[in-house]
Amino acid sequence: MTANASMLPTTGSGPLPPADESRGTRAAPHPGRRRSRRGWILSSALAWLVALIFMMPIIWTFLTALKPGNEVFSSGLRPFGSEILWSNFAAAWTEIGFGRLLANSVGVAAVTTVLTLAIATCTAYAFSRLRFRGRHGLFVLFVLTLTLPMEIAVVPLFLGFNAVNLLDTWTALILPSLFGAFGAFLLRQFMLQIPGEIEDAARIDGASTPRILTTIIVPLVRPALAVLAVFTFLGSWNSFLWPLIILNSMDKWTLPLGLAGFTTQTGTQWELLMAACVLTLIPVIVLVIVAQRQLVAAIGAGAFGGR
Amino acid sequence: MTTGAALGSRTTAGPGHRRALRGSTGWQGWGWIFVLPGLVGLVVFVVTPMVASLVLGFFDATLLGGLTPVGLDNFSRMVGDRQFLNSVVVTTLFVLIFVPLNIALSTAMALWLRTRLAGRSWLRVIFLIPALSPMVANAAVFRMLLQRDGLFNSVLDAVGLGAIPWLSEGRWALAAIILVSVWQTFGYNMIIIGAGLDSVNPDVISASRIDGAGALRRLWSITIPLTSPALFFATVMTVIGAWQTFAQSYIITGGGPGDSTTTIMLYLYRTAFSYNQLGYASAISAALFLIIATVTLIQVWGQKKWVHYDG
Repeated sequence: MTANASMLPTTGSGPLPPADESRGTRAAPHPGRRRSRRGWILSSALAWLVALIFMMPIIWTFLTALKPGNEVFSSGLRPFGSEILWSNFAAAWTEIGFGRLLANSVGVAAVTTVLTLAIATCTAYAFSRLRFRGRHGLFVLFVLTLTLPMEIAVVPLFLGFNAVNLLDTWTALILPSLFGAFGAFLLRQFMLQIPGEIEDAARIDGASTPRILTTIIVPLVRPALAVLAVFTFLGSWNSFLWPLIILNSMDKWTLPLGLAGFTTQTGTQWELLMAACVLTLIPVIVLVIVAQRQLVAAIGAGAFGGR
Repeated sequence: MTTGAALGSRTTAGPGHRRALRGSTGWQGWGWIFVLPGLVGLVVFVVTPMVASLVLGFFDATLLGGLTPVGLDNFSRMVGDRQFLNSVVVTTLFVLIFVPLNIALSTAMALWLRTRLAGRSWLRVIFLIPALSPMVANAAVFRMLLQRDGLFNSVLDAVGLGAIPWLSEGRWALAAIILVSVWQTFGYNMIIIGAGLDSVNPDVISASRIDGAGALRRLWSITIPLTSPALFFATVMTVIGAWQTFAQSYIITGGGPGDSTTTIMLYLYRTAFSYNQLGYASAISAALFLIIATVTLIQVWGQKKWVHYDG
């Protein structure tokens, strides 16, 4: 390392460029093509400038949320209004009943995630490790539905739930999202990689099939379950069209519905709407800071599980 | 976990597979018991509604009025429905501009983020934030930024380019919808393509470098082909999602001005839930399904020409 470092131009007394932090990069340092420190600084600065521009909508949302209502558009490029109103956040919270919306969203997403994981685990286990009549045909059916977009089925689903008097219920909101084949397919790919010997040994020791699933298979596919949990939770958290169709009562609304209702009202109170958007973003940003590495890995893994 | 057993169990003929199944043949009923919840749900909530959506297209259906068979009326109506045809044109334009722009930008950024940069993992995460935030929140933010005196126009004014009628002129409104959509999905595709880039064998790159290939040549002839499975996946998923664009138009422009940003999904939603024409809406969803299925099949068929699976 010292030998390499001494080859760098030593124009300043600043710290050396940090070593590559990502495990993923395999590009070995090539002596002839090593970036100079100046190149590294320039490239980094430029990348962070791009990131700053990319983040501008979020930064501006936050700044707008602190302005008095009549200065939202009159302040031009000035970042702050004549006063900084932290009270906008409290006003937004009460105006759209943010606590209620947040609780509904978290509750719906949590229930959806737990049930989806349970159902997908059972399906994947049957398809990957159990033998039964019709297995191949059923698996083909599951895979076929993978590429079909659910959105095109909204009208019959709506009519169906109307027929059984379940419109405007969380049951109707949650049920259709539990059975996508993606989860079963993803988990199956991971379960197929578990060697059969482990199962055989457990069976000889007298373990039943359900017991093998819960004590052996599930712990071994925990990373895949985590990926699926992240995906399912986010899917539910962000979904808009189906809740918009199925839910009428405001006390059952989820966050996206609350925000949408707030947006399309005549005479939008922009500073409050932006405060509500910031409040919506806070859980996301906290999640991102806490689970930074795992999140990036999880989304990459999910991408290839679905291939 | 030996790789031999793991690989063997993946192919149907491998010895590991047979052994895994032999261990599980105690009582065959368990297979059906475990597959049943998922199967029933899939049939009731996914397969049946999709089939019903096709069937319902042949009926005149309202929420309270019951069903009247109308033969092909809904489908022939579609052919002469200017609003529907317009929504197809709008959505096609959206897909044609949004998808290439999105894939090109996220690939470029994924490549850039593989070079040495200060705080690189944080940069990745920053680009991911909009993808994790609800589309409705992002759309609401852009609705503010794109107002007559919003941030975008203030910047354009400040640099002397003059304001743009983002929300009051059709083309600009479509551009606005594309802008927020790219912003929303950019980080997600960047991560997927980045994961693909990570799986490229660095020896191949070094070898081509020794053979004297320039940076652009390496990118085009080596890196892109080797990353093609990830690029293919990202493209197919982005295209499928793009045909169903809804929240952006619903929140930012309400489909306007005129019908310039009324996507197929927004038109379908209005037909069904504002005008209570559920049969016609089902015919529209059958058409949307046909479009998505055709485009996806073309992509799957076309992948032979550019996607390489054995990196």
